[in-house]
Amino acid sequence: MSNDDRAIASTAAWTPAPPPLPAGFEAELATLAPVRARVPMKQLAALIGGSFVYALGLVFLLDIRDDLGEMPRTWIISVGAAWLLGFVAPVYLALVPRRGDVLPRWQLAVLVAGVASVAFVVLGLAIHPMGPHSVAYGAAQFGRGHVCLEIGLVTALVPVLIGAIYLRRSLPVASRPVAAALGAGGGCLGGLVLHAHCHVADGLHVGLIHGGVVVVSALLAAAVVPRVTTLR
Amino acid sequence: MADAKDLMARYVSGDATAFRELYALVAPRLYGYLVKLARQRSVADDLLQQTFLKVHRARATYVLGADPVPWIYSIAHRTFIDEARKQNRAVVRVADDDVLPEEAADLAGSTADRRDESRVDPELVRDTLDALAELPASQREAVILTKLDGKSVAEAAQIAGTTVGAMKVRAHRGYERLRALLGGRGNREEAS
Repeated sequence: MSNDDRAIASTAAWTPAPPPLPAGFEAELATLAPVRARVPMKQLAALIGGSFVYALGLVFLLDIRDDLGEMPRTWIISVGAAWLLGFVAPVYLALVPRRGDVLPRWQLAVLVAGVASVAFVVLGLAIHPMGPHSVAYGAAQFGRGHVCLEIGLVTALVPVLIGAIYLRRSLPVASRPVAAALGAGGGCLGGLVLHAHCHVADGLHVGLIHGGVVVVSALLAAAVVPRVTTLR
Repeated sequence: MADAKDLMARYVSGDATAFRELYALVAPRLYGYLVKLARQRSVADDLLQQTFLKVHRARATYVLGADPVPWIYSIAHRTFIDEARKQNRAVVRVADDDVLPEEAADLAGSTADRRDESRVDPELVRDTLDALAELPASQREAVILTKLDGKSVAEAAQIAGTTVGAMKVRAHRGYERLRALLGGRGNREEAS
């Protein structure tokens, strides 16, 4: 064994004795009250349920798109299912840890959020059927799409808020990726609401605005939510 | 002694004795990690206290049935990072008289540091800690977790909130640099 190895082995074997619990802590333990531990699956169910009710309310408040009956049924169902999956998958990964872990699967969550962000932009640019009652803004009126962006973000607000409350001061690490996943999930719910409401069907609008909601929502959540969820 | 999961579950349900047992189980290893990371007993004492205070405040965010140890380590990691940022330096350097090992009281009332006497040479420990202090904080932590604390790369990555690949690179570079520093010290000592 070389000197380096002996030095490292020696340091590995050395375990200093920790100090006793401070007196203030002992006083706190004397009045220790039971608390309800986090139940991730229950939280997930409440987040999904609450967000759906809110999203449905928004769709009925904003009206269903005029051209819905003119769209191919396969497209309506498959894209709707994709938005739904894009909502559920990242929030599931952001809230529910692997069995035996306390912290959520942030690496997978942020990966799914990233894939959703890119996929919905590309999907919207590539596949955007139009009917007689559909509207096309095109590049010239692209800026008018800000209303859809706002609707999408307002929809995303509720799942992100619920997720942030459930994860409040619980993440010592990886707060930002978890927040981004919550944001992407919320953005996909926003996309689902727009899928049912917005009759602007040109590729730029559907791809960059409807898909862009996922990206903007993920970025905004990553910037703001860690202030609430980081355990400091 | 009961395992950490059971102790944490009892603690969450209001059993203060379970917390004391959890502290006795986790604190020695965690304190070693913090001392090696912060390089100063007084700072490590404070970080340990802050860590357990945070565990106490965040106990409602614990998931029943989960192993609390990596979570507690993550809290300690965050506490160290925040403290280092607060002091605007990654390495907390101190006078040599605070360098370890030294005599200290432990939870059981023993006055000596816990150590495997056959394997611990205070001079070697001091040299290693000096060399560790010269590593960047991320590499230092990676070496402490994987090479000194015996954690797997995946566990260390989970604690530090980074990817397995990044942790592997940090641990490898840190270890290589540590060996080079220790080799350099050995050569200087032999020359003098």
